[in-house]
Amino acid sequence: MKDVFIIGVGMTQFGKHTDRSLRDLGREACLNALRDAGVTPKKIEAGYCGNALAPAIQGETGVGQNVFWEVGINEIPIVNVENACASGSTALREGWMAIAGGFYDMVIVAGVEKTVMPKGAMLDVGAAELETKLGDVFPGQFALIAQKHMERYGTTREQLAKVSVKNHFNGSLNPYAQFQKQFTVEEVLNSPVVADPLTLFSCCPNSDGAAALILCSKKKAQKMKVRAVRIAASILTSGTYNNQRDITGWEIEKRAAEGAYQMASLGPKDIDLVEVHDAFTISEIIHYEDLGLCAPGEGGRLIGEGATELSGRIPVNPSGGLLAKGHPVGASGVAQVVEIVWQLRGEAGKRQIKKARVGLAQIMGGYKEGDTRACTIHILVKD
Amino acid sequence: MEKASPNQTNQIWALVEEGLFEYPIADNQVPALLANRCTNCGKTFFPKRPLCPYCFDKGELEEIRLDRRGIIYACTVIHRNSPTGIIAPYAYGYVDIPVNKVRVFSLFEGSDPSSFTTGQEVELVVEPIKVDNQGKQIIGYKFKHIS
Repeated sequence: MKDVFIIGVGMTQFGKHTDRSLRDLGREACLNALRDAGVTPKKIEAGYCGNALAPAIQGETGVGQNVFWEVGINEIPIVNVENACASGSTALREGWMAIAGGFYDMVIVAGVEKTVMPKGAMLDVGAAELETKLGDVFPGQFALIAQKHMERYGTTREQLAKVSVKNHFNGSLNPYAQFQKQFTVEEVLNSPVVADPLTLFSCCPNSDGAAALILCSKKKAQKMKVRAVRIAASILTSGTYNNQRDITGWEIEKRAAEGAYQMASLGPKDIDLVEVHDAFTISEIIHYEDLGLCAPGEGGRLIGEGATELSGRIPVNPSGGLLAKGHPVGASGVAQVVEIVWQLRGEAGKRQIKKARVGLAQIMGGYKEGDTRACTIHILVKD
Repeated sequence: MEKASPNQTNQIWALVEEGLFEYPIADNQVPALLANRCTNCGKTFFPKRPLCPYCFDKGELEEIRLDRRGIIYACTVIHRNSPTGIIAPYAYGYVDIPVNKVRVFSLFEGSDPSSFTTGQEVELVVEPIKVDNQGKQIIGYKFKHIS
């Protein structure tokens, strides 16, 4: 397996882009990434594009060809990738595999999505699933998990709220974030209840946005003398769908983390910063545990003592996470990696983490039979 | 797939999904969810599966009716109307069926959605869960407190 490097990153601001199309957002992200890498479109040998909901929301398929042709990329293999919230990170893994396997020396990876809905409407996805027909909604699934975590480990509503407070603080330092506003614990707790115990500010917003990466082989990276960040691990796996599993943790994520640490020859203690899938406050707390940042059941305490703040022992979601930066589903996994590359290069502005050398990105996708469909973990190293 | 059939009051109803339960319920029958069980590993599946994912060709699936009684594993109250037309507030969660060693996702029935908690014993009812946009009653299943 060959070493793979990220040599260019770019993204749009996440938020409401009512007047902009998928290809318009995609173009901005791809242009930023190409210019950041100092690469012309004709040097790209393959393209991988993550998008989850365009067929359902915009009635648009083949988003990858649309977006990449916007920046003059054609006549090469282009792959459209759908893996729910892990669509973008799965596209990254496809691009990584292509270079690691020696097929190409330079590829582009993008994630593009528009999910902002009319005010008050909930995203209507998964209509074919029995649970959805019976009234299941995403915040409800995570509320069940939160209830169970509180019951089993004594995790408190205040600890849940602190995740949102921390991530909104980080988001206020990130010009690419959808929300630039800070919240207090009281404001999070007193916002309208969506699914008990999750309140409105405990849930990530629907968002529009795009992010892109340029990946290349070691040979190319050395020749170009660019600021390269190495992909030390790339893992994708699927769920157990075990009907009777303990829902206070994700077996799929523990399995992915184990694989990623092994591939990178690193452990949780070696990680300087983490971007996780905080679609809901409870998710981030469980990700701490599943990724081994703390023991099972200790996630509430970890946020409580401030360990995951920007100045803490192990900063989590310095970008603001999905909660504050926003969650354009297929773009989120790519944007996490954009943030980590900025942090490892020392370009993260007011939210820069000192001496960051190793970063981990985790995202999961989709609900299936009480489990998750997909989980990806990437570990990035600045050598 | 929703199948419309006329009932006695000449109203039109449809099932939330085919094959989940017997309906209409005969006079001498209690409502039951329809599941199947692998003859090789003994695992029970609700909804029914065409083959056992653990045993593949080694096991056969036999049809069973699940026990009506269950224990709440987890529950929550939703405070927004669902995109599929369930009116808030409503309660749902997971119910473990001890007799069959299977967990079922279900709505909870009752005027007080916040009255459901983990560990409570509940029992199955088959009844309308909503009215669709053509005025059709959609028949589903719920669990309720044991009276």
